[in-house]
Amino acid sequence: MSLLEIRGVTVRFGGNTAVNDVSLEVEAGTITGLIGPNGAGKTTLFNTVTGLQRPSAGRVLLDGDDITRVPPAKRARRGMARTFQRLELFLSLSVRDNVRVAGDIARGGSRRRADLAAETDRVLELTGLTDVADRDVSDIPTGRARVVEVARALMTSPRLLLLDEPASGQTEHETDAFAQMLAGLAADGLGICLVEHDLPLVMRLCSTIHVLDYGALIASGTPAEVQQDPGVVAAYIGTETAA
Amino acid sequence: MDTFLTFTVLGLVLGAVYAIAASGLVLTYNTSGVFNFAHGAQAMLGAFMYWQFSVGWGLPVWLSVVLTVGVLGPVMGAALYLLIMRGLRGTAEVTKIVVTVAVLLGFVYLSQWIWPPEEARILGLFFGSNASIEVFGVVIRAHEIICLVLAVAIAVGLRLLFHRTRVGVAMRGVVDDPDLLQLTGHDPERVALLSWVMGSVLAVLAGILITPIGGGALEANALTLLVIDAFAAAMFGRLRSIPRTFVGAIVLGMSATYLVGYAPASWTWVGNFRATLPMIILFIVLLVLPQDRLRGAATRTRERYAVPTVRRAVVWGVVLVVAVWLLAQLMVPGSITTFTLGMTFAVMALSLTLLTGYAGEMNLATMAFAAIGTIVAFHVGIVGAGLASRLTWWGVAFGVLATGLVGGLVALPALRLRGLYLALATLAFGGFVANMVLRDINESGLFGGIFPDGNLLVPPLKVGPVDLRDPLTALLTVTVLFAVAAVGVIALRRSGYGRRLAAMKDSPAATAMLGQSLVPLKLSVFVISTSIAGLGGILMSSTLGSVSAESFPVLGSLSLLMLTVVGGIGYVSGALFGGLMAGAGVVAVVASLNNLAAGSEGLSNIYSTLASVFLVLTALVGMGVGENPSGRAHLVTATWRRIAPARPVLIGAAALEAVFYLLALFHVIGNWWFAGLTVALFACTPRIARALMPSAVLTAEELAVPRPVPLEQVGLDKPFTEEQRDAVDRELGLPRHRPAPSTIPAAAPRASTVATRQETAHVVA
Repeated sequence: MSLLEIRGVTVRFGGNTAVNDVSLEVEAGTITGLIGPNGAGKTTLFNTVTGLQRPSAGRVLLDGDDITRVPPAKRARRGMARTFQRLELFLSLSVRDNVRVAGDIARGGSRRRADLAAETDRVLELTGLTDVADRDVSDIPTGRARVVEVARALMTSPRLLLLDEPASGQTEHETDAFAQMLAGLAADGLGICLVEHDLPLVMRLCSTIHVLDYGALIASGTPAEVQQDPGVVAAYIGTETAA
Repeated sequence: MDTFLTFTVLGLVLGAVYAIAASGLVLTYNTSGVFNFAHGAQAMLGAFMYWQFSVGWGLPVWLSVVLTVGVLGPVMGAALYLLIMRGLRGTAEVTKIVVTVAVLLGFVYLSQWIWPPEEARILGLFFGSNASIEVFGVVIRAHEIICLVLAVAIAVGLRLLFHRTRVGVAMRGVVDDPDLLQLTGHDPERVALLSWVMGSVLAVLAGILITPIGGGALEANALTLLVIDAFAAAMFGRLRSIPRTFVGAIVLGMSATYLVGYAPASWTWVGNFRATLPMIILFIVLLVLPQDRLRGAATRTRERYAVPTVRRAVVWGVVLVVAVWLLAQLMVPGSITTFTLGMTFAVMALSLTLLTGYAGEMNLATMAFAAIGTIVAFHVGIVGAGLASRLTWWGVAFGVLATGLVGGLVALPALRLRGLYLALATLAFGGFVANMVLRDINESGLFGGIFPDGNLLVPPLKVGPVDLRDPLTALLTVTVLFAVAAVGVIALRRSGYGRRLAAMKDSPAATAMLGQSLVPLKLSVFVISTSIAGLGGILMSSTLGSVSAESFPVLGSLSLLMLTVVGGIGYVSGALFGGLMAGAGVVAVVASLNNLAAGSEGLSNIYSTLASVFLVLTALVGMGVGENPSGRAHLVTATWRRIAPARPVLIGAAALEAVFYLLALFHVIGNWWFAGLTVALFACTPRIARALMPSAVLTAEELAVPRPVPLEQVGLDKPFTEEQRDAVDRELGLPRHRPAPSTIPAAAPRASTVATRQETAHVVA
């Protein structure tokens, strides 16, 4: 049984089909890549998985349970966390509080304050944000702001992490550290689904890659298989890398 | 059958006018994203201007109509958009709502200034009440035919506009995506301007049509609220669809007239119920609206608030109590009571700090919740009779709890929806309380006389040895309660709960994705907030001693909110400012000016005008909130925090203030002088600190910026720089005495060369 299973999901906006009959799986302890040109439907698919968007057809399963009609907050409590492509940070809060609030929510009022503070510090350390922990979240560069979103998601102790272009805006050096962290998290058993335009990063990290184009899956497989798939080269890599 | 037809026609006519008003509202909302609470006030102003033209100045009806609808309407719409609404992009929904509320209040004050309410004015039907035709035994008057025909014409016109014209299609697109619209060759600014002009014309038209139908009496508050009824119609179309808005308007008009026509005679409350009906329908529509999609932060808003630590808040709370005690020593008992009233309003404003400042939700009916608290406390919590009667602590406790409970019930239907809908739900509740609860004055009322005789006597609170009959005790008790509540609110914001509220305000979608269910969180904060409002309301009523329906005005809630936002909605000090202004400041200034007016023969006109100007000015400040959405408290805090290192200056200022205080205490100077000097000192101290101790106050970068030398002294006090020399040579056409001018921009920062060139130009000129 897969951690996450998407079965035949279709999303239509009016006459426009953003996601067309997509099926894929994410296993615990692995990183699954989801790539495709802009507008291919990656973020819409994420929204469907997390419950922000109702699919027109198809089902979403977590641990084999159908969660298609479960509201977002309940999905989160079942171990799902995500980041947003368009940053959704809490601008009234410091970096530390952005992370800590996830702990506030996950534990309600039951957890001791000291434990929560320690846990926050651990996550900040893990994600390399300790040096900016007390800055206003609107004051830090985009690349690091994306890491704050990741840290916030990790604070919920998720089993499934959906990352929407987490590396865009990061420097090469930051991306390296980030990749190592993701690999470490996956090794500890976290299932990660990664949407990313940085293809070398995706190729390096992911065990399985799915390619989305015009809302439909055009290829799935290991990095090597996907790279050699003529359809992918034509539809995606051919255009994207040239640009 | 004839009666049925008569009522049907009356209902259709009322619906037609609602439709005209509501379609204007939908139009502006959809093209500029601003829900125009001032729509009713625009209609009101239109009706007054029409009266002025046609009755006041005796112009022909046709000319008056042209001047009102053809000139005033468009000019008002264009002015509103260009001067105010255009600056609201990138602000939070709260700011947008408050700015239109400020416009509403400004228009009401303005109309009361120009057309003093003491004088009755009547606006008649078009072509009089005798011009009529008879269809199937039903008399239809010319005015009613005009309403119906205009509504149909506007419906058809808007349909054609939106679907057949380029600009109409653009109007539909502007809210969805202004940037995309720009790419397709439209100017979103122009489209929004046009929609505000059209919305304003429709409002004015609705105003002159509805006034005669509603009886013809021109009364600013009532007229403004009358058109707010049209909001309910707009909700039928989810604020988007014009056809559904028309359907909603007709339903609204018909149900109102049928209710009056067919309700049994024993239902004496039906008149009040009819007045509330649009608000009740609004509430029902909210219940059945489908849930919104969870949204992220659509735009990065400009509002920023810093939250103090709890320790600091406690210190400031103590400072506040001491300061209030010191001030009270300067005052006569009457002023102390006014001051106390201001503090009770500050408690109510505190409910808005929590709800709006911290959680990003809205309440437009604070006074209605104050009324609920008062009524419950009155019914359960008074012991003794006559002069010996006292309000008990359990009366206050029950009142506070009951208000919170009612608050939860009011918010419940709107919690699934966006913030604007919660704001509208509270507005509807405000209308309900004003029309149903506060008019429920005897046994024949729906609630069996819950507001007996329209006047409640609420005696002072007495808890143990603390008796609030003494004005100074009352002031200090209320101040301590405010300080405690304020520290509590700050502690709440500093807790995990408060972080969750802030998260919800900033991004509902991200908060939900962390596992937070938004409905219970919103519900809880609304309950806490309305409880605080109830506490403030009970204290207010007990300070006043006797309250009637006029003590809880619908517009009072709006002005309290506006003043609190001006003060800084994210700050407890903003609540203090807003409450003191709303409860005491405005009253004190206006009363003082009116006293002066009564006291001085020749200048009385000037003083009473000044009183009106002052009221309009408060609204103008509210309209300016778009410029500085974080509020005054934000600026003040930022300024004073910067000069904190300049200790000698601060100590000097404190000493000077102490001198002022002593002078006032021993009646060497009057209280107004004291107030004026204090304000002046407050304003000057940061400047003095910067001038006297620049090294302590300014940052290294600011110090590095060279002090400007007056142009005429360049070359005397200060040698010409190389750039200036070059620039002078260039201007005079002299050969360059130095090589390679191209290296200059590289060597010097660009801004400085530009500046020098300008300076040189002056020198040469």
